[in-house]
Order: sequence, then structure tokens, then C-alpha cells
Amino acid sequence: MMTECRRRQPIRQQIQTTPEDHRIAWLAALAITIHVLESALPSPLPGLKPGLANVITIAVLLQFGWRMAAWVSLLRVLCGSLLLGTFLSPTFLLSLAGAGCSIGILWIACRLPGRGFGPVGYSILAALAHMTGQFTLAWLLFIPHPEIWHLFPVLMTAALLFGIVSGIIAGAMTREHRQCRT
Amino acid sequence: MLLAGCSQPPDPGQHRQFFALGTLIDITFYGIDSSTAEQAGTELEQLFLRMHADWHAWQPGILQETNHRLATQDEFSADPTLLPLLEAANRLSRLSNELFNPVIGKLIALWGFHSDERPAGPPPDKAAIRELVQQHPSVTDITLDNGRIRSSNPAVSYDLGAVAKGYAIDRGIERLRAHGIDNAIINAGGDLRAIGRHGDRPWRIGIRDPRGPGVLAAIELGDDESVLTSGDYERFFVYKGKRYHHIIDPRSGYPADSATSVTVIHTDATTADAAATALFVAGPKQWYAIARRMGIHYVMLIDRNGTIYMNPAMRQRIHFETEPADIHLSKPL
Amino acid sequence: MTRADWVLLVAVIGSLPLLYTHFWSDEGVARHLQVQIGNRPARIIALDQDRELTLDGPLGTSRVEIRDGRARFVNSPCPGKNCIQAGWLTGAGELAACLPNRISIQLLGMHPRFDAINF
Repeated sequence: MMTECRRRQPIRQQIQTTPEDHRIAWLAALAITIHVLESALPSPLPGLKPGLANVITIAVLLQFGWRMAAWVSLLRVLCGSLLLGTFLSPTFLLSLAGAGCSIGILWIACRLPGRGFGPVGYSILAALAHMTGQFTLAWLLFIPHPEIWHLFPVLMTAALLFGIVSGIIAGAMTREHRQCRT
Repeated sequence: MLLAGCSQPPDPGQHRQFFALGTLIDITFYGIDSSTAEQAGTELEQLFLRMHADWHAWQPGILQETNHRLATQDEFSADPTLLPLLEAANRLSRLSNELFNPVIGKLIALWGFHSDERPAGPPPDKAAIRELVQQHPSVTDITLDNGRIRSSNPAVSYDLGAVAKGYAIDRGIERLRAHGIDNAIINAGGDLRAIGRHGDRPWRIGIRDPRGPGVLAAIELGDDESVLTSGDYERFFVYKGKRYHHIIDPRSGYPADSATSVTVIHTDATTADAAATALFVAGPKQWYAIARRMGIHYVMLIDRNGTIYMNPAMRQRIHFETEPADIHLSKPL
Repeated sequence: MTRADWVLLVAVIGSLPLLYTHFWSDEGVARHLQVQIGNRPARIIALDQDRELTLDGPLGTSRVEIRDGRARFVNSPCPGKNCIQAGWLTGAGELAACLPNRISIQLLGMHPRFDAINF
């Protein structure tokens, strides 16, 4: 059978954006804003941040799944650093390490069987991983002095507290709590 | 604020170091004032330096003179300061089935391990080694009676390197006790004796990894114990990719090659020093029998493959940093 | 909060004291370096400032680097280079020595892990 050859019509496509896309974009913008504002806070070790933007990561995780949360985290770190002019700087690397470790542990946490964690649980995991990732990188690359480890227990305690608070806020933000999926 | 700490240096009187007997001597004190520590440290330093000079087999001194006279095969009176060491060395040699042999001085010199400096290759000629081995210098060729000494074998020549450090440590401990010091460690590289405790806890000793920079294991010592380690990494030279170390097997004339290190715990350091050497030469196959003969109760031997051999009592006492894969436990000693 | 959340929270709160006892213990911390050349009196040098030491022994000059509270031999005229192979000294009581050049360095601290190292 011969294939008919037809003149193809140029197809104009309009990119439709869904309300979901709007919401994600809005959340990403919020995350970036928080990231930028956080840079104004003083910190015990240069570049180490409490990770308040984790609230957004957890909210996105619960509503849109892990992949989206990973994207938003990455966007937050990249755009935030571009806006602050810290792209590729030590601060950027620390943010990246923190974000990377938190979404890493969230990926593992999402795959666990059973009813799983709620917003507070994910948030605690993310906050602890975030702090550990940042601290370890800071120690390996920037301040290999063994005595900075004296700060570690204090920072982890702070991370736990921030994690609980972020989790409560993220839970309040997301009215429909969905099981996160990878 | 958390990083700043109390920056007072710990009392330097608690550690005293000096170079003697071909190694670094580290004296650790506990609970005495710095002037006593200083004084004791200086006295030990002088003692060790003098012993080093007296017992050097190949530089002018008491031992060299003794060796010259022994070669004549005439009887003479042994130097009174050297006599106890010769008696101890002879006795320990017999106990070890002569695997520890203090009279193979000519063989050790042939290899170049007699001097303080590290020899450079190449290894000695096979024929030369064989000749010396066949002359069979042995402590059984020596009669030592009432301070009079005679050798019936001109090949006999004392090199006390394998037992001198242990003996020196024992004399050093005696001196410390004479000063009323009852808590101290004398550490001469691989040879160490500790008395007393570190305050309210026992002394903690780290055993170095023979093949790496870190610590392999830890031991807590009792009130008066010595730890001695003999290894192929202490004095050696490398020639054409092969390592030749200073612990010569008197039976073959070549460096003993079945072990990489031996650690012994015992009361006096002289016996422990001779035993560590003998057990190193004995290797994985014969160490148990020799240890029994010499009355040693704690042995750890590491062979060429990294396999660890030890008796059950030693296994109880030693705490490894990382559990080794391969441990062979012997029968109780 | 789900059940998993509570389990996690309890586990983390339970582990926090362990973090403190582990990282706040002073064991092994060394703040000074003792340098011994030959049988001269020992020198004590603080470890809080990064620097390089040039030490002259009978064989020549050995160089020791102090960085981030640790110390090591970087250069020595001896044939065996055991001193350099010992690597970084990090804990109180740890020692490295260049025997041919008669130089030894040792970290000093209030709570050394070991009182002596047998090697």
C-alpha cells in the first residue's frame, strides 16, 4: 500500500499551562526568595544556613512528588545563587551539598513501605541531612580543622528544631497530603 | 567561643625524649613534679648513651675488646659491667633453641646491620654467607664460669643488638625505682616497659601497624610489664625491589622471612627482647614451641600474608582498631 | 503526625546526647607540638597557627608542616623517609621521628589515646 504523501499543515501549538504548573512556579519562586533572604542571616560557619527553604521542598514533595521536589530544590539553589551573585562560590557549593543530601534522603524515605512519614517526619530527615551534608563539605573542603566538630552536635540540634517547625508549616500549607512518590 | 579551649600546654616534664641505642627513647612519667622528671630523664639519658657506647660491637669499646679476646680462644676475665648481659644472652639463647643467637656478630656485620647507619645494597655474596654459617658460632662454644670466659670457636663474635635495648630498659627501670618513681614508661622504639599506672587507669599502649602509619591495636599493661615488637620494618634496605631486614636467621644466614612482626608481652624486657627475635625467626610454624620453652605467655605473630597468630591469653588482652579477617588461635601457652 | 514520625522523633532525640558525648569529649585533642632535635632541650610549639618549621639536624634540614591543628614531616634528608611516611599526626600522643637526623615531633594533649606507641 502506498503511503499517501500529504502536505503537512504547520501546527501551531500553544503551550498550555495548568494550574499545577502555576502552583509549582509560585512555590519555586517562594523557595528562591527564602533562600535569598536567608543569606542575610548570620551563621556560625560561613555559608552554613538553617535551610528554611526546606519548608517549600517538603510542601512540593507532598503535593507533587519527589521529582518535582528535587527540581524545585535545584532551581532554588541555582537561581538563588545567581541572584545573590554566589554562583559557583563556596556558599553555592554548601547549599548544593545541603540540598543534595536532603533530597537524597527524601528519595530513600519515599521508597519505604507502609504508611510512611508525615510532613514533620520528612522535614526532620531533610533538615538533618541538609545540615550533615553542608557541615561535612565545609569540613572537607574549607575548614579541615578537627575542632570544628565541636559545633556539630549543636548544629544538629538546631537542625532538628528547624525540621520540626518546617514540617508543621509545610503540613499546614498542603491541605491535601499525598503519599510522596518517587 | 566553643572552639577556643584551655590552651595551657600539658606539663612537658611528663615526657622526656632523647636519641640513644639507635632509636628514639621516650620516657613517660606520671604524677611527679617536673624537676624530678627532668633529673631522672637526664640520668637515664646518660645511662643509655653510656650503654650504647660500651656495647657497640664494632666501635672501640668494652664489647669489641671482649670479642677480640674471645677470638684468641684464651680464657680471660669478662668485664664486670658486661658480664650480666653476656650471661643473660647465653641463657636466653639456649632457651630459644639458639634461634636467638647473640654470637653471630660476623654474619650481622657482613650484612651491614652492625653499624648505626642503614646499609645500602647489594646483599652479601652467597659463598661468604655460607662460610660463616658453616662455622656455626654458638653460645655452646662459650664457657662462662665465675667471671672467667673462654670461647672454643674463633667464629664466635657477640652482637647484642637483639637484646641490648631490653636489657638497657630493665636497668633504666631499676634506676627510676631507685629514685622513688613507680609510675613510668621507658619506650625505646619497639621495646617498652611500664611500671605502675597512669593515675587511676592502667597504661594504654598502641601497637603500630607494621605496614601502615596508623595504630593496629591497643593493650593495657599491668603493674610491671614489657611489650616488645620485632619487625622487618625497623632496619632494612631494599635492593632490586627486595627487602632485606636485620633479623638474621642463624640457620640460613639470611633474613628470616616467614613473619613481618612479632609482639610479646612479658615481665622483664631482656627476656621479651630475646624472645621477640627468636619467635620472629621461628615463624608461624615453630613459634608456639619456642614460646613455651622460654616461658612467654603472650605472643602475637603476623606473617607475610597479614595472617595473625596468637595464643588465647593474648587474644583476650589485645583490642584491635578494626577486627582482622584472619586470626589463628593456638593452644594455650 | 504519623507513627513513623513519632518513631523518628524519638530516635533522633535519643541519639542527640550521643552526639554530644562523642564530639565534645576532649580525648585525643592536641594543642601543642613537642619538637626534639638531638638531645637538646625540647621545644613546645602551639598548634593553633599554621606554619612550617625548619629543623636542622646532623644530616641536614627536615621540614615540618603545621596545619589545622595537625603536624607532619614534609621533607627530610634521611634515606628511608619513614618520618614522612608516618603522615599527619592528628591525636595527642602521636609521634613521628627521623632517626638518622635525630629529630622527633610529638603532639601533646591532656587526654592522649595512648600513653606510648610500640613500633
